[in-house]
Amino acid sequence: MGDTQERIANHPILGTYEKGEPVTFTYDGKEMTGFEGEPIAMALKANGVMVHRYTAKKHLPRGIFCAIGRCTDCVMVVDGEPNVRTCMTPLKEGMDVRTQYGVSDKPFDEQ
Amino acid sequence: MKRYDLIIIGAGPSGLSAAIEAAKRKMNVVVFDENARPGGQLFKQIHKFFGSKEHKAKIRGFVIGEQLLKEATDLGVDVELDSTVMGIYPNREIVVRQGDHVNHFKGDSIIVATGAAENMVTFDGWTLPGVIGAGAAQTMMNLHGIKPGNKILMLGSGNVGLVVSYQLLQAGCEVVALVDAAPRVGGYGVHASKVARTGVPFYLSHTIVKADGTDHVTGVTIAEVDSKFQFIPGTEKHFDVDTICLAVGLSPMSQLLKMAGCEMDNSGPAEVPVIDESGATSVPGIYAVGDVAGIEEASSAMIEGRMAGIKVAEYLGFEEAEKGDKEFDKNVAALDGLRQGMFAPRNRGKKIEKTEEGIDISENLLLHGFVADDEIERFPGVTHRAGVHPVMECTQNIPCNPCEDACPKHVIEVGSNITNLPHIVEGNECIDCGMCVASCSGQAIFLINEDTGDGKAEVTMPYEFLPLPTEGQTGKALSREGKPVCDATVVRVRSSKAYDHTNLVTISVPKDMVMKARFFKAV
Amino acid sequence: MRIDRTRDLGPYVEKEGDDRIICRCEEVTQGEIRKAVHDGMFTLTEVRRYLRCGMGLCQGQTCGKLVRGIIARELGEKPSELEPATSRSPMRPTEMHVWANEETNEEGA
Repeated sequence: MGDTQERIANHPILGTYEKGEPVTFTYDGKEMTGFEGEPIAMALKANGVMVHRYTAKKHLPRGIFCAIGRCTDCVMVVDGEPNVRTCMTPLKEGMDVRTQYGVSDKPFDEQ
Repeated sequence: MKRYDLIIIGAGPSGLSAAIEAAKRKMNVVVFDENARPGGQLFKQIHKFFGSKEHKAKIRGFVIGEQLLKEATDLGVDVELDSTVMGIYPNREIVVRQGDHVNHFKGDSIIVATGAAENMVTFDGWTLPGVIGAGAAQTMMNLHGIKPGNKILMLGSGNVGLVVSYQLLQAGCEVVALVDAAPRVGGYGVHASKVARTGVPFYLSHTIVKADGTDHVTGVTIAEVDSKFQFIPGTEKHFDVDTICLAVGLSPMSQLLKMAGCEMDNSGPAEVPVIDESGATSVPGIYAVGDVAGIEEASSAMIEGRMAGIKVAEYLGFEEAEKGDKEFDKNVAALDGLRQGMFAPRNRGKKIEKTEEGIDISENLLLHGFVADDEIERFPGVTHRAGVHPVMECTQNIPCNPCEDACPKHVIEVGSNITNLPHIVEGNECIDCGMCVASCSGQAIFLINEDTGDGKAEVTMPYEFLPLPTEGQTGKALSREGKPVCDATVVRVRSSKAYDHTNLVTISVPKDMVMKARFFKAV
Repeated sequence: MRIDRTRDLGPYVEKEGDDRIICRCEEVTQGEIRKAVHDGMFTLTEVRRYLRCGMGLCQGQTCGKLVRGIIARELGEKPSELEPATSRSPMRPTEMHVWANEETNEEGA
């Protein structure tokens, strides 16, 4: 799924990881694959996506920071809803995941 | 509104332990946790724990998590996940977000076990994607099987920074440097040593100047700092990295206790509740256990949880005071046992010069993460003799003794004082079973045969990486510093269920390298 | 807690790192926080209301301790001497539609 370089195929202590069924989702309209139930952020990371959003004031990039739902830096527009914490939200088949600009999925020059 | 005898907030090691003790005493217990998985940080801990048998030593953290969870649910504890406690109101009423609903619950008692949050440091570029908390790295690799990055710089040499660095190596990432502004390694020397011997350089008295990159991290610059933590010009060093991992301490998440009106102590670096030995706060019926009451290891958190669970049962009449107190006192003793040694809470921030045995501490270990060749011989676990024998490179007093139990021939002794450095019992013969090597949570025990003929010697080391070397494979032996010292051939690889995923790799090296070769790298 | 309001901190003088973001959510910089102290905001709560640092999505989870340190340094005090910030519900950001689903009957949950 995605760039296998980013996924740990076999871990010396944990072995293999329990994952859901492979699913397809879109990131800014681009088709990607991940596993059902894993946090959206993990599927994005496996596909090499680093930037989740650009901030409202300074338009600076942000991505995964705490990965436990606390810092809210990884929020994106998911199925039309902004400010969705992608590190906590399970991936589902057909999800529409978009980069968040401020609180919109439209780049700043189109807002 | 539903009522419980006991509401516990947080399903980590302390919360689950408290739940178990209370449920054993027939209390009606619910545990709320805001995460999708229970266990707190335990499921991210893949190393073997320190301590004694009573403290679940040499069991890996995630296995302890599974055991606690099973014990709690078998006793009928209701563990409610994805349940965020939004506030504690008078008369121990709490408000919990569950899905799209906000529900109210009332507890005759409440144990707050919310744990801690990571501290942060700022530097230019610290908001760039690719700068992550150490906890994030653990979540990614140990829960979800995702590599946090390929080339990583770790900031922080406390146990979290050291343990996570090792975990990153196990996940197949490259750790380019371990950096700390402090002048000395903060965590256990054995945790540092197992990172250093793989070749990760330590930069103490250094910190991050800036992270490079426009959309994500592409590099990092560090520089040396003086005793006032000011950068020393001209000492800058640059590394190409895609990830910077921050492990600069933890702070209790005590806001709920404060909201509940518990008396707080604001004098330290973070606000903590004022509690008694059992975790009771100033508000009757509200207790605090685990990291929220003060940062310690998970093993301590579990005992604190048990103690509060017993006391809550006494408080509400589910346990006779006399019987409960007996049980309680056992836990007090166990907790006291864990709070001994060089890293005891009372020694925090102090520089210890000598071991309890009166031996000078390895200065090199504190400065560079490994014991120097001219220091190692002075520790009691390091001896020379004919045939295979254990060499225990255990140089700091930590409450830990699985090695003693592991040896079927009683070759290794720690003694009644659990912080003693281990030593060899003269007259008892090592049978090369490898149990000591696999049982040492610090991976500090090696089996040595100083003369196997033909000018060769053999070193057996713990090995927790993939791919596992194979018999006959050739490569380089690395020193404690992680520098290649000589050619080495793998002569034996042992894996066994009893070793619990710690493989034993035996390499053959020139005789004069037997006290230097401590890691194997295939070439 | 007594707060000495007569203190003269002198004018705000820019220093290194002032353009660095401290509150990641509301994008408040070190310089803005330092300047707020010179403007007379001597407590965490005052600075929070003045600049919104700690009032974003994460509710100060990430920057709380950093802000406390900066204010204390500017006032020449120890962080522990500052009046602590208040704690109130909700502990985590919660959408209004969820609050609309707050259980009100006695039987619920």
